[in-house]
Amino acid sequence: MLSAEEHRCRLHTRVRSFIEASARGDAAAESFDGLGLAVLRYQADHVAAYQRLLARAGRDPGRVSEVRVLPAVPSDAFRFARIAAHPPADDVALFRTSGTTALPRGEHALSTTETYECSALAWGGWALFCDIHEPLTAIILSPRENPESSLHFMMKTFAARFAPKAHYLQTSDLSAIDADELERACDAAARAGAPAIVMGTSFAFVHALDALGGRRLQLPQASRAMHTGGFKGRSRAVDARELRGHIAQTFGVSEGAVVGEYGMTELSSQLYEGTLRGQRGFDTPSATHGTFIPPPWMRVAAVDPETLLPLADGEVGILRFEDLANVDGALAIQTADRGRCTSAGVELMGRSPGAPPRGCSLALEDLLENG
Amino acid sequence: MTEELSFEERAARVRSILAAARRLADARDPLGQEARARLPAVTGLSEAGVELALSRHLETNVSPADLERLIARAGSAPRVHVVLSANVFAGAVRAIAFASVTAPSVIVRASTRETVMAPLLRRALREADDRFDFDLSSTLAAKPGDEVHVYGRRETIDAVGAAMPRGVRIRAHGPGIGIAVIDAHGGVPPFAAELLSWDVVAFDQRGCLSPRLAFVAGSADEVDAFAVGVSEALERREREVPRGLISADERSEQTLYRNTMTAIGKFYAGSSFSVGVDLAPRGVPLPPSGRNLHVARVVDSDDLIRLLAPLRASITCVGHVAPGALAVHAIALACGARSLPLGSMQTPPLDGPVDLREMV
Repeated sequence: MLSAEEHRCRLHTRVRSFIEASARGDAAAESFDGLGLAVLRYQADHVAAYQRLLARAGRDPGRVSEVRVLPAVPSDAFRFARIAAHPPADDVALFRTSGTTALPRGEHALSTTETYECSALAWGGWALFCDIHEPLTAIILSPRENPESSLHFMMKTFAARFAPKAHYLQTSDLSAIDADELERACDAAARAGAPAIVMGTSFAFVHALDALGGRRLQLPQASRAMHTGGFKGRSRAVDARELRGHIAQTFGVSEGAVVGEYGMTELSSQLYEGTLRGQRGFDTPSATHGTFIPPPWMRVAAVDPETLLPLADGEVGILRFEDLANVDGALAIQTADRGRCTSAGVELMGRSPGAPPRGCSLALEDLLENG
Repeated sequence: MTEELSFEERAARVRSILAAARRLADARDPLGQEARARLPAVTGLSEAGVELALSRHLETNVSPADLERLIARAGSAPRVHVVLSANVFAGAVRAIAFASVTAPSVIVRASTRETVMAPLLRRALREADDRFDFDLSSTLAAKPGDEVHVYGRRETIDAVGAAMPRGVRIRAHGPGIGIAVIDAHGGVPPFAAELLSWDVVAFDQRGCLSPRLAFVAGSADEVDAFAVGVSEALERREREVPRGLISADERSEQTLYRNTMTAIGKFYAGSSFSVGVDLAPRGVPLPPSGRNLHVARVVDSDDLIRLLAPLRASITCVGHVAPGALAVHAIALACGARSLPLGSMQTPPLDGPVDLREMV
């Protein structure tokens, strides 16, 4: 009989094998559903919140053959309860969602970062570094240390693997980006000659562009940028297309080399636009901005917002994520984000257009916007 | 130069508006009948929901003391432009009354979605041949020195504020929530759950005073028993005052709220409501409007303050059985919030704007 810890370690190993095989383009030793159900059975045994969801739904991961028929943990639950199969003493990382003052921050506890790193590197490598054969320079619009941010962890992981020379441009996550320092970092990248990657949240890019005040920078040939995240809780919101255009102009890269990433603190895997791959002649299900491609170890489905049942391809619903790399918390997560899933990838959408107003009663967005 | 209204003129205007409102509240009056016929379609409330709002929540009287407070809270301007919100239609009476004691000239811009209440009030005023009347306009053309009273969502307030010339005073009343604070040690009087259910049901919980959160002190069993009591009361209300239409987004939020509560606590639900219970809250989720109440157990006043602090700016009123120590802490924390007995959270005295917080 395996202990919980042994069971967990073995699952992590199996998931990493799945990721590595998928990333190589090989067939994995086990199926997505087979491995997913093994992880879900473990979570059903050790995550009280998931036990309650299963009991309410009358489902048993030991008696089904597909992950998709099992309930998903609502992303909001991560704000109000610990969703982890291991005890807090075994945490090696605790990522927290970006803050609003009015709502508790969601938490994603990890007992190991190996699986997270494996997933991030495999799919980041696919989307952002597919054409790279030499060390890059990384310009990161973030502080050097930000242990609660999963995005920061991911960017540091990329830098450690692909870019031994990394410039971090904030002193804290609230500090302004110094335009001169950014220019010096770009100059250093240009002198180094190898391509550079500029990474940050969309919000950080907006502030970097503001700080530059129209100054143009010139990165080496084949450089690229990755931006992520929306503008909830922020004082400025900029249209994604407009932002992409400004990033491309300012850093001297093509728009195709400006890649959008979609991630959530509660997940361990990310989705990317396939535009860089498309531009560089690599296979991709989509080379269109606005379509985010999940890795083979993640399934995304649009589900009916009321029944939470899966919708047909192309129908708009709210997004459910099944991430094999999420061994420690919740493999299946239900978000409130609207979107559409097709064979090309996932399109993210905003709130329902034309939804009737709801009077003066406080809405969740009011709390999020007033973070 | 601003023409100043005397106290008596202001008081007379309020009385005129309340007389007009009484006609709408009266189901036998032709205007009251017209209101009942037209409001369900534009508000989304059920017929019973509209009847409840007209008969129980429309201001039709004011005490002399409240009238004095209402006038004292008003400013003075040559003109007030009132921007009304949709859904909580009864709010038009108070908003227009407050504007009428501020300025000789009142121009009302009704929501494009709720075009019934303000015109009916105006007809009632005109038929009474009173000296007070207000104008209706689909546009907003304020001049320096005017006041604009905006009721609605934050986007509306921001848009109105951005469009106004310098020198226009904006008095904005944005979104908010009511909370109930209850000490259940030794049990809660059975009427408390009943009264709270009526506060939840009014306007299908879309008002800025509508209770969405209840903080209950007591043992786990006492808190759970209170939640069950509210759930049973809401079930009775479901039969008496059926919920009206809710949007697809609200239905989705209700589903996700129920799932979240399944994961972190538990919930009791009927076809049109849910009562979530968290007996060891780390924080409080905001359940969607449309008859969803979240019950959070608090251990003591420190615990209450910890849970409430993040929401303090959004709290418009604190409902209670009696203003005991817990409620007093909540009222002190939520600066500007009204203190109201359960069952009266949606019928505050006519002593100022419904929401006494004022946004800048």
